[in-house]
Amino acid sequence: MKNKKFTTLIMSAAVGAMSTGLVHADQLDVEKDSLKFGFIKLTDCAPLVIAKEKGFFQAEGLQVEVVAQPNWKTLLDNVISGDLDGAHMLSGQPIAATIGFGTKAHIVTSYTMDLNGNAITVSNDIWSKMQENDPKLDSPTPPHPITADSLVPVVEEILERGEKLQLGMVFPTSTHNYELRYWLASAGINPGMYTKSDTGGRTRAQVELSVTPPPMMPATLESGNIQGYCVGEPWNQQAVAKGIGVPVTTNYDIWKNNPEKVFGVSKKWADENPKTNIAVTKALIMAGKWLDETDADGKLVNREEAARILAKSNYVGADYDVIKNSMTGFFMFQKTDKREMPDFNVFFKHHCTYPWYSDGVWFLTQMRRWGQISDAKNKDWYIKTAKEVYKPEVYIAAAKLLLEEGKITEADVPWETDGFKPVTKDFIDGLEYNGKEPVKYLNSHKIGNKDPE
Amino acid sequence: MLTLISTIIIMKKIKYSLLKAIDITGLTFLAPVVRLCYGEEPQVQFKKIGQWIIVPLIAVFIALFVIYDGFIVDTFKTKSGKLPTSSKIYSSYKSIDQLHDDEIAKEKAYNLSGEERVEELKVVEEKITSAEKSLEEASKAVEDQTLVSKAETAKDVAPIQAEYDELKESVKAASAARDVEMKLLAESITPGDEAAAQKLLGLVRADDAQDTLDKEKRNLTKEKINLILTKKSPALQKRKAEETYFSERLAFLKTYKTLLSTQNKSLIIDEKKEKIATYEKELASLSGADALKKAKSIVNQESVISKKEESEYAGSKTIWYQVKRSVLCVFTGFFLGSFLAIPIGIFCGLNKTFMAMMTPFIAIFKPVSPIVWLPIILILVMGAFPNPDKHPFMEFLGELPLLGVYKINPAFIASAITVALCSLWATMANTALGVASIDKDHMNVARVLKLGFFARLTKIIIPSSLPLIFAGLRISLGVGWMVLIAAELLSSSEGIGKFVFDEFNNGSSDSLAKMVVVVFIVGIIGLILDRIMVIFQRLVSFEGAPATI
Amino acid sequence: MSFLELKDVDVSFGPPSNRVDILKDINLSVEENEFVAIIGFSGSGKSTLMNLLSGLQLPSNGSSSFKGKAIKEPGPELGIMFQNYSLLPWLSVGDNVKLAIDRVFPKLSKTEVHEKMLHYVKMVKLDHAVDKKPHELSGGMRQRASLSRTLSLDPEVLLLDEPLSALDALTRSELQDQILNIWESDKRTVVMITNDVDEAVLMADRIVPLTMGPGATLSKEFVVNMPRPRNRHTLNDEPEFMRLKSEITAFMLGLNKESKEMKSDIKVAMPDVQPRDFSLPIAAPRFSHLQSKHISPNAN
Repeated sequence: MKNKKFTTLIMSAAVGAMSTGLVHADQLDVEKDSLKFGFIKLTDCAPLVIAKEKGFFQAEGLQVEVVAQPNWKTLLDNVISGDLDGAHMLSGQPIAATIGFGTKAHIVTSYTMDLNGNAITVSNDIWSKMQENDPKLDSPTPPHPITADSLVPVVEEILERGEKLQLGMVFPTSTHNYELRYWLASAGINPGMYTKSDTGGRTRAQVELSVTPPPMMPATLESGNIQGYCVGEPWNQQAVAKGIGVPVTTNYDIWKNNPEKVFGVSKKWADENPKTNIAVTKALIMAGKWLDETDADGKLVNREEAARILAKSNYVGADYDVIKNSMTGFFMFQKTDKREMPDFNVFFKHHCTYPWYSDGVWFLTQMRRWGQISDAKNKDWYIKTAKEVYKPEVYIAAAKLLLEEGKITEADVPWETDGFKPVTKDFIDGLEYNGKEPVKYLNSHKIGNKDPE
Repeated sequence: MLTLISTIIIMKKIKYSLLKAIDITGLTFLAPVVRLCYGEEPQVQFKKIGQWIIVPLIAVFIALFVIYDGFIVDTFKTKSGKLPTSSKIYSSYKSIDQLHDDEIAKEKAYNLSGEERVEELKVVEEKITSAEKSLEEASKAVEDQTLVSKAETAKDVAPIQAEYDELKESVKAASAARDVEMKLLAESITPGDEAAAQKLLGLVRADDAQDTLDKEKRNLTKEKINLILTKKSPALQKRKAEETYFSERLAFLKTYKTLLSTQNKSLIIDEKKEKIATYEKELASLSGADALKKAKSIVNQESVISKKEESEYAGSKTIWYQVKRSVLCVFTGFFLGSFLAIPIGIFCGLNKTFMAMMTPFIAIFKPVSPIVWLPIILILVMGAFPNPDKHPFMEFLGELPLLGVYKINPAFIASAITVALCSLWATMANTALGVASIDKDHMNVARVLKLGFFARLTKIIIPSSLPLIFAGLRISLGVGWMVLIAAELLSSSEGIGKFVFDEFNNGSSDSLAKMVVVVFIVGIIGLILDRIMVIFQRLVSFEGAPATI
Repeated sequence: MSFLELKDVDVSFGPPSNRVDILKDINLSVEENEFVAIIGFSGSGKSTLMNLLSGLQLPSNGSSSFKGKAIKEPGPELGIMFQNYSLLPWLSVGDNVKLAIDRVFPKLSKTEVHEKMLHYVKMVKLDHAVDKKPHELSGGMRQRASLSRTLSLDPEVLLLDEPLSALDALTRSELQDQILNIWESDKRTVVMITNDVDEAVLMADRIVPLTMGPGATLSKEFVVNMPRPRNRHTLNDEPEFMRLKSEITAFMLGLNKESKEMKSDIKVAMPDVQPRDFSLPIAAPRFSHLQSKHISPNAN
């Protein structure tokens, strides 16, 4: 700490010209130093837990309590009510809350917690039927990516019986809902539309999607109420460990490096505690960086320790073995099929913690696609709404301070970006996504709402 | 001699107060022990002790160690493994308790300063070295065992896998042969040849049946493989548990160390003070905008220090904290409920019209489950405290001397209100009954004495119905305790209910054992609450009082 | 105008279609400082009569008056001592008495109340049991506690409802003496109900028999012209005592016979079922029971 002081001083002098507000490397005089953050028991809450356990919050002069929440709804309610100062949130949650789908409240985010990290798991029974439909799958290590094509006959067979395949996802505005829908729709299965009167999103549905809290997924699958689900870790690995289901695909295959969770706070809180917000973001950036630290060979060095910490019962609490798989860059698809997936959880690489406007726009397009946004919107609305929720200025302010303190390097942060990621085609169906052209992107989908450009 | 006599006299006196205390608390099984100590009819007392103490103990012993550990654990399996044995449950209890001790130690370390801190730091460093060594050994053991277990599993799986592959091949071949046969037949059929068409149909049917049969056979074999793969080697489990234990210890010690060093409160404050001192020196040599900036920095850091000085260690919530908060919550709800139920009950008992008025409300609201109340009340409470952090009532609660620690928040209040709503009915009904069934003669006494309404209430009605009211309160507290666990589970108000739900959500291999621990904790606290109420009930009871319902 | 008076009083219960007269044509006047005993069989409506005098029960017809004013509600001036003690079981003897003193003398200080309580408790020789709860006392002691509470009201009329019926002979005579002593030392009006002829003759100035119910009424009264204080040990030698006793007993037995004859038509319908010849059921409803029964199904 102390020997860094001189370098810090030199650094601050160097960057002083480009930084606008705070120049000195002193600890921020935060408005509120005792904070309570909520999380859901998922491995991607890691930045929050690590920031606490590894002392990054304390380094910013914050005493933070990290409390597990039973489900996304309660978590959001607690943030709105002020019982929680902030929380680990689904990317879609702040956007949906801000535009008023579900609970209406202005939530903002200045930190994206991770990329990827979800998977779709189906029950053993559905898996064996999928294998029948596509003999290629009937192997200890089937070729990836697995599309929903082999699921189509299963869906049709169940529909003929007058029933629907039951699938679980964690929240109406969660990435899981959109990913599961994307995966199904890319094979021509209609997952159902939301309308003004149908808030369950089941209009014209060929399968029935229902909400189950993440930790309840394996139990619900086991009890037979659902036949498959899309959820984050460790609940897919748990299904493998318990031998109750088979993860068929990860969201890495559905959309490579898709944004997953964000750290959300209410607009009111952010306005009242600007310095605290920056301090928290600083600590989270440090936690993200710690999680993605690699050695010379590119091996993630801190992930085992992180898995140990997450395995504690007051955090994720699942068995260490189960958490370790995905956290250390492995994923078990079956007992016989353990694959290396170094990017299964990305916490810092690819400038992922930066709050990209293009991420927000993508979620808005999906909300419109499935009818959660009931009216057609123009391009500007998408971008304007994303800018209401995503606050890169806070991120940049925090990053600047860290840079001055010498804790991060210049390359860690996309200083000059306009907030839109490059155009990408890394989707399971190969469609092109350009965040600046949301309506065009919306109209390129086969299933779902289409709007005039 | 005199002292001996006086001791005997005192002992004699104590004997009866002891026996009376035992009687009032309802711990009658202790009475023979006391009597035996005074040498009263030893044979009778031994018999009673056998009946009331030894037999139940044996029953518990048999149920727990013979029936449960011996049979149930072995026969009943869950997807996450076997049921926990009683020793596993006990060790889970120890680990929960350990977590609590660790949190206390951490908090202490954070606030430690001066010589003590340095001393403690030395001790910890030594401990860390030895823990690292143990962990290394444990990890090595796990690695070795993993290899052994893997080899074993592979050995077990290999023949079945071979069988499976063989089966798959032969089925494939047979199926291909049938396909060829069917194709040939189909090609040879001349249109209009009904017999041949029927033959083809039969062939296809047979083929389909055979396919189904083959599939079943294959699945069966696959199932066998899966079973072997799912099975966890007990030796490996044990090694892993050891490894987990040591790694957790080590992680704790490391955190403990940082709390004693880099994150230590006094250390951080000292460092900041030093910084201010240098700033002040620098300020003396500056002027203009730089001086202003420096001065601002100093003031800024002074404010940081004052906040740090007030700051408290933010630990995680442990079981005993949760237990205390739950008990606080149940009593809050219980008093809230009683505060409503007793006056309403009294008016119901006194006035039939009022009773008739209340009956529809009682009839409709009484059966409503806490699961229904809680979300509604949660919304209402959240509405009442839009900004709980800054609400004066919440701030007042947060500053209460003994309760402040328990951070009373809307979720707590909602849980307490749910407890109140679900538990007040027993008290209300019993109070109404108690008031309505007051001895007519006692009311005549009140008439002769010309007692006013208030005097009648306090001197006759309430004392006379107290035994029944307390019987109702006892039921209410019991109901409230059960309801609370459910309410906490839903509202995620910090407490035992949340502990159980968190453990259920964890779904780790020792979650089940920890939940069983909670069963005992909840049971024992419920028992204590019940005993407390029994004591009160007996204290307010009088000869000829209406019996307990 | 008498001190305490009942004039043409009827008491009846029940709905008009099935009305039962308990008391009919009751006329009674008691003078100041007089000791009147009302004698009757059990179940003849004695307690109802007592309730009338105390104001706990209002007449269906006729009038009841005390010192020329109609009795509308009970009060401490008409101090009734209940047949079943009616001590409040959750209070000690002393507290039971204090409750009464507090009401009648609200201005006394705590110590004064305590002294007064001790005075009344001593009067019935119960000072050793001041702190005992009623259930810790014997029947006679409870009776005395009840008497003490009634006396502490300093009533102008003392209404004693079978005060000694539940006691054994020894306790009974002891209490009789006590009551007489108290009455003689501190003269006041007493109306006492009893079913014991000896007791009535020993204690009262006037004895009024109550006929058998339903529709019981007061019949011819007997005046006891014996000097006071009366000595129970020599009483049996007094011809006047013997005469009154036999006369009253004969009268009462006659009443009983009469009632039996009145009932004979019913007996035809139910031959030889009753082991005893009388003990008529009273149709008076017991309110406390009815109330609790009425309430309990709802309350549960």
